[in-house]
Amino acid sequence: MDPIKTEIVVLGAGPGGYTAAFYAADKGKKVTLVEQSPRLGGICLNSGCIPSKALLHATAVLREARESAARGIELGQPNIDLDKLRTWKESILERLGQGIKGLAEKRGVQVVHGRGHFEDSHTLRVETGEGQKFLNFEKAIIAVGSKPAMPSAFDLGNRRIMTSTEALEIQDIPNDLLVVGGGYIGMELGTVYATLGSHVVVLEALPSILTGVDPDLVRPVARAAQKAFKELRVNTKVLKMATAGKQIKVTTEIDKQQREELYDRVLVSVGRAPNYSDLGLENTRVTKDDKGFIKCNPQQQTDDPDIYAIGDVNGGALLAHRASKEARIAVEAMLGEASAFENIVIPAVVYTDPEVAWCGLTETEAKQNEIDIKVAKFLWGASGRALTLDRPDGLTKLIIDPDSERILGVGIVGVGAAELIGEGVLAVEMGATARDFAETVHPHPTLSETLMEAAEVFYGTATHTLAARRES
Amino acid sequence: MDVKLPRLAEGVESGIVVNILVSEGQKIQKDQPFIELETQKAVGSIPSPASGKVSKIHVKDGMEVAVGQLLITIATESDSANVSAPARQEASRPPEVAPDSQISGGTRSAKGPDAKTPAESFRYESKSGAPPPASPSIRKIARDLGIDLMRIKGSEAGGRIVLEDMRAYIQNLQRLTFEEPEGRTGAILKPAPAQSESIDFAKWGPIRRERMSPLRQTVSRRMSESWTTIPKINQFDDIDITDLLAVRKKYATAYEKKGQRLTLTAFLLNIVAGALQKYPRANASLDAETSEIVYKNYFHIGIAVDTEGGLIVPVLRDVDKKNLFELSKDLHELTEKTRQRKVSLEELQGGTFTISNQGTIGGSHFTPIIYAPQVAILGVGQGQAKPVVVEGKIAVRTLLPVCLAYDHRVLDGADAVRFLKEIIAGLENFPESQVKLK
Repeated sequence: MDPIKTEIVVLGAGPGGYTAAFYAADKGKKVTLVEQSPRLGGICLNSGCIPSKALLHATAVLREARESAARGIELGQPNIDLDKLRTWKESILERLGQGIKGLAEKRGVQVVHGRGHFEDSHTLRVETGEGQKFLNFEKAIIAVGSKPAMPSAFDLGNRRIMTSTEALEIQDIPNDLLVVGGGYIGMELGTVYATLGSHVVVLEALPSILTGVDPDLVRPVARAAQKAFKELRVNTKVLKMATAGKQIKVTTEIDKQQREELYDRVLVSVGRAPNYSDLGLENTRVTKDDKGFIKCNPQQQTDDPDIYAIGDVNGGALLAHRASKEARIAVEAMLGEASAFENIVIPAVVYTDPEVAWCGLTETEAKQNEIDIKVAKFLWGASGRALTLDRPDGLTKLIIDPDSERILGVGIVGVGAAELIGEGVLAVEMGATARDFAETVHPHPTLSETLMEAAEVFYGTATHTLAARRES
Repeated sequence: MDVKLPRLAEGVESGIVVNILVSEGQKIQKDQPFIELETQKAVGSIPSPASGKVSKIHVKDGMEVAVGQLLITIATESDSANVSAPARQEASRPPEVAPDSQISGGTRSAKGPDAKTPAESFRYESKSGAPPPASPSIRKIARDLGIDLMRIKGSEAGGRIVLEDMRAYIQNLQRLTFEEPEGRTGAILKPAPAQSESIDFAKWGPIRRERMSPLRQTVSRRMSESWTTIPKINQFDDIDITDLLAVRKKYATAYEKKGQRLTLTAFLLNIVAGALQKYPRANASLDAETSEIVYKNYFHIGIAVDTEGGLIVPVLRDVDKKNLFELSKDLHELTEKTRQRKVSLEELQGGTFTISNQGTIGGSHFTPIIYAPQVAILGVGQGQAKPVVVEGKIAVRTLLPVCLAYDHRVLDGADAVRFLKEIIAGLENFPESQVKLK
């Protein structure tokens, strides 16, 4: 069979891959998009961001309803129809997946469903439902993403031991659920199951959940989780798991004391691993770094000059929006434009309750690198909007360069932090100063005012809080 | 910890790796030099900002590296947990990279005709290591145009760069580019255009092309500049050093016992410092902008040193305040340091006069080129036995060929001759008492 000739092949149709394919097509290139799953959209759409946020929204309503009682509104015992919940969630994924497909068609991007394998630096073999197809390309973009890591010790082939992918299917509501790993995935999905009624225990090997996030931003999340979960155990290691009838026997160790417990289901959320196995990279000049991620330069180009890599396969922060940005950079670099992934602010959001979001420099990083900063904090207890939402458990802080007063980073914890961080990202990208925040009128009563008030705290002139006046 | 190329000196953006002094896996101490870099100005070594083990070397010999570029990665004890922590360049000691070695004299105003703040003088610095503040759209434009935002001074709050700042910067660059040739210094900053025509030398036989090192380029530029701007006179003479050599021979062993070699250059330094005090114009500089002659009440003499990398002129301080033994000692240390490329930035600046002694290699009279902004230089050849008429009889004497090159804008012929005669008389009648070790 004659190979299909194309200018650009994009391998993987997640938020990195389809962005790259569409952008290259918009720039007039002939593009082929290869995806092994029947539905486009990648992990983000099919078993990541989107389904988890759908479930988080649905269950947040449950929690709201419960908490309403204290505010004088009682809704009675809710009835949970898991089938209907799944169908609703699935309908969102289908709608978005179809949307991407339609956009691909309109742009003339050819979609090939199947597993891709590099034969050499310019040929991709695709195993499709209708047999092998060969693609002859000028340039390729690898955007195959990552998958949940499953340590072999836990991989018993027992479906009660789940990764995030299976957990998002919500087969049932287990009575006792163990979440191994207190990172953002474990915390988010733990929240979903706890709200649905599971007794959730979260184990974290390190001294804190959400490792790497500034401690003051984690504190409200940990406090809320202690209430929502049956237990939050840090400094705990999982030694062993074994099938015990319809349950899983889990051996853990804390302070050198071993403990055995039975759980109906276990969610393993200990990280993610790049998805490049059996891609045929050995037939190209692509190389990997010491952590096993694909190595590339700031133009996203791998050591094989005609092959680029974007998103999770490169390691770093495994975030859909980073992949999308890298997609654009890779395409621009391919087309000879001056583009590079440099000094780009990538915001991070954790959809726990309350949410955590940050961007730019964090207090932790500043401390590690001995960077001189000033931190201005505004506690949400003084925000009218936070109180009307019955959620004073929030904090907005600005990381400020003391010399230029430039905003180097923003950190927010609180309900709606994910939406609020956008303003912070723009501020950091624009090189805004604390004065810019303070001088910008923010609508009242909103949570966005907390950014302005934090800046005013920096100058010692916040209206709704008394702060030590700045020496000038 | 990742160690990047720190800011070296004003105007030095990059350099060529000439020597890597460590290897992967090797232990390294804080402040231990790990790389030698040749820049437009000179060769210098870069000290390590921390102790630890070299886990990776990211550069190769002959590679051009820019400020901020990753050089090596050091595994320090403290960063086992945080490998990616960027090295704090600001905290590291300024490396021993030399400034204009050819300009050994003080500050030189290189300003354009009316550039209030020349574009090239600004450089953004942030203790936090953050890039210059500018919106994404401005950064995009800068990237497209290949403009380094670090060079643009932002006018907005916090130093934020806006389109206006970039426009002004570019317009200034363009103005400087096209106005300089008619300006005071313009013509000499670039090689003569007539020579830029490419000649195909390979037509007549096999050739090899080698890129001029940054140091060579600087030497070349400074020499052309001096040659084309300074109305120069070369004054030749011979010095009878027969008696001086006898004195030197007499005391050489005594000096050697104290670990020093008594060299002719040490005598020259001593005598020249005295002559400069008597004829201060030879120790002066011209400030053409203000039409003033700058007299210096210090006597720092540059010594031309032949190194593997090329000519470098370190400066010996306060020559007038040192006795012959101290001069011998300091001279030896300074030249050794220069040959080993360990000479510091300060040691290459502030010279008021230069001695170029080729005598150790050979040669007779030659016409040295003045190191602007100095106004005179003494070129010294090799002493040779010659028949000379002494008191009506022919005698064999050792004559030292010398040439004083001087800037006629500052020094007149009569002054220069008097100055040279002072040096000759000084060497021919060098008092033995000054050689004696106390």
